[in-house]
Amino acid sequence: MNKASQNLQGAAPVSVARRNFLRGVPVVTAAAVLAPAPAIASTGKQQWAMLIDVRKCIGCQACTVSCIQENAVPEGSFRTVVSTYSVKLTDSTQPAGTYVLPRLCNHCDNPPCIPVCPVSATYKREDGIVAVDGDRCVGCAYCVQACPYDARFINHDTGKADKCTFCAHRVDAGLLPACVETCVGGARIFGDINNSEGEFARLLKDAQPQLKVLKPELETAPRVFYIGLDERFTGKVEGQGTLWKPRSLPHA
Amino acid sequence: MNPNIVETINVAREVAWLPWAVQYLFLIGLSYGAWLLSLPGVVFRRPGWAGISRLALLGALVCGLAAPVALLADLHQPGRFWHFYAYFTPTSWMSWGAFFIPVYLGGLLIYAWLAFRPELARHAQSGGKLAGMAGVLAYGGHESRGALKAAALLAFIGAALVALYTGAEVAVVQARPLWNTPLLPLQFFVTAFAGAVGLVLLFNRYSVRDEAANRRLAGVLAATQAVALAVGALWLALGVSGISPVHARALAEVGPSANWQLSALWAVAATVLTLVLAWKRPGSGLLIGLLALHSAWMMRWSIFIGGQEVPKTGAGYYTYSLPLGPEGLMGIVGTAGLWVFLFVLITTLLPLDRLAAGADDNAAA
Repeated sequence: MNKASQNLQGAAPVSVARRNFLRGVPVVTAAAVLAPAPAIASTGKQQWAMLIDVRKCIGCQACTVSCIQENAVPEGSFRTVVSTYSVKLTDSTQPAGTYVLPRLCNHCDNPPCIPVCPVSATYKREDGIVAVDGDRCVGCAYCVQACPYDARFINHDTGKADKCTFCAHRVDAGLLPACVETCVGGARIFGDINNSEGEFARLLKDAQPQLKVLKPELETAPRVFYIGLDERFTGKVEGQGTLWKPRSLPHA
Repeated sequence: MNPNIVETINVAREVAWLPWAVQYLFLIGLSYGAWLLSLPGVVFRRPGWAGISRLALLGALVCGLAAPVALLADLHQPGRFWHFYAYFTPTSWMSWGAFFIPVYLGGLLIYAWLAFRPELARHAQSGGKLAGMAGVLAYGGHESRGALKAAALLAFIGAALVALYTGAEVAVVQARPLWNTPLLPLQFFVTAFAGAVGLVLLFNRYSVRDEAANRRLAGVLAATQAVALAVGALWLALGVSGISPVHARALAEVGPSANWQLSALWAVAATVLTLVLAWKRPGSGLLIGLLALHSAWMMRWSIFIGGQEVPKTGAGYYTYSLPLGPEGLMGIVGTAGLWVFLFVLITTLLPLDRLAAGADDNAAA
């Protein structure tokens, strides 16, 4: 069993402590090699979730690229991306700062994409992951419309609805999602919110006062939580749109 | 727009409901609208309505048969359409729609056959093109009022359900504030009915040019435009006043956009122009017919394609340019081609002039 899967089996508060220690050492690459990612899990019925510490995200898009590689996401489509904004500063000598916000499927506990699916192809797994049954999906894109986070799209290679799965195939094998594995700043933390004794639950509890989700007013109960989420970015961002955005190639 | 925030990197989600979907909603709307127009003459035998209603029924048939093809083409897995029937999901309006469409089309086909049987027999006797086929389809050419009324009831239930589901399916999408308003199904219905009146005006113009029918239809069209303007004004008032939060959110989403302001202005101007012309110059059947059809299509295009140009999380708006292939222009042209084919086929069996003229005699017979 590899290191990550040991982590997922909840093998070790000791290894968690070691990682936390290493993360404190300002040799990021060494820490990344010794402890690839902050995986914290339980042995009981898991409910997977992600905690994103925006303060630690450096906007490198390593998560974006690793997700594309891991999941064979077609060119121009994205299951995750780090939205990047230039924000005018009023309390600094610098004219503007950069704000980064990793986005992905929120694996909502009350997902708007599920009831609209006309063939019940999209569903919530027992472990909380919102998934699409590719054998059943008709590619009607109703779920794409219903998702309030723009997290879904039609995959032109498959003709089916596509989205982040928390890398369910990796999680089932005891591995971490690819984006978590590759996050340079350790901003993405993946774990089980059902394990009240676990490190993930402790981190959530510690972060509680500043814990936020996207579009809380829609009551979708996202399973992706943010630390350091600026209020101006919780919903549709009021700002100037990007001049150029990647587009998927027209399908044949 | 907040000038202090500039988005530098993000993803543009492309339009997932393609122009095929616009074509579907346009055609199915015209179909149920035209079907409603067929009732006064065909079922209720109101004087002066026979020709109008028979032309309307022709329109309902042609549009109703073409519409599901466009819907099927909008699926990215069209070969799996049977999944709709194998995996019924009662929480989804689209799932219900898969059952409502056959109810409507089944009712419409039976109703149209019963209504046109005598006409088919007449065509078979005249020995025109496809006379043999007309004879077979006429199956004796008898008129069965009881069966016709029963079929009309079935088609009515189907039409009402289709009108309901096509509006509700879009209006329940909370993630798109522009769509998520209770007035949207009503707006779809009013513009669909107006478009159907426009279609019958064109049929009349290109067949017998019955002036009385033209004036009658112009009166109905004027009324639909007045209702469309009233509903639009109510939508705006609810949004501006903030009485209705969903309308306020919808307005806030598109209000700042210059493109949307132009679209709204265009829609209002076209509706007012149609209203004034239909009211003051009821003889301008061709122009007001085309205007009504244009408004029905533009409304759906703006709501559907324009609505998908509004990012749900990102800043600004996406820009859509119509692809030239099947996912864009060819979808529109292809649907139009199918419509023309069906029109030619059906009017070969049931010539337009014969449907429009002498109809009162038939009704009275």
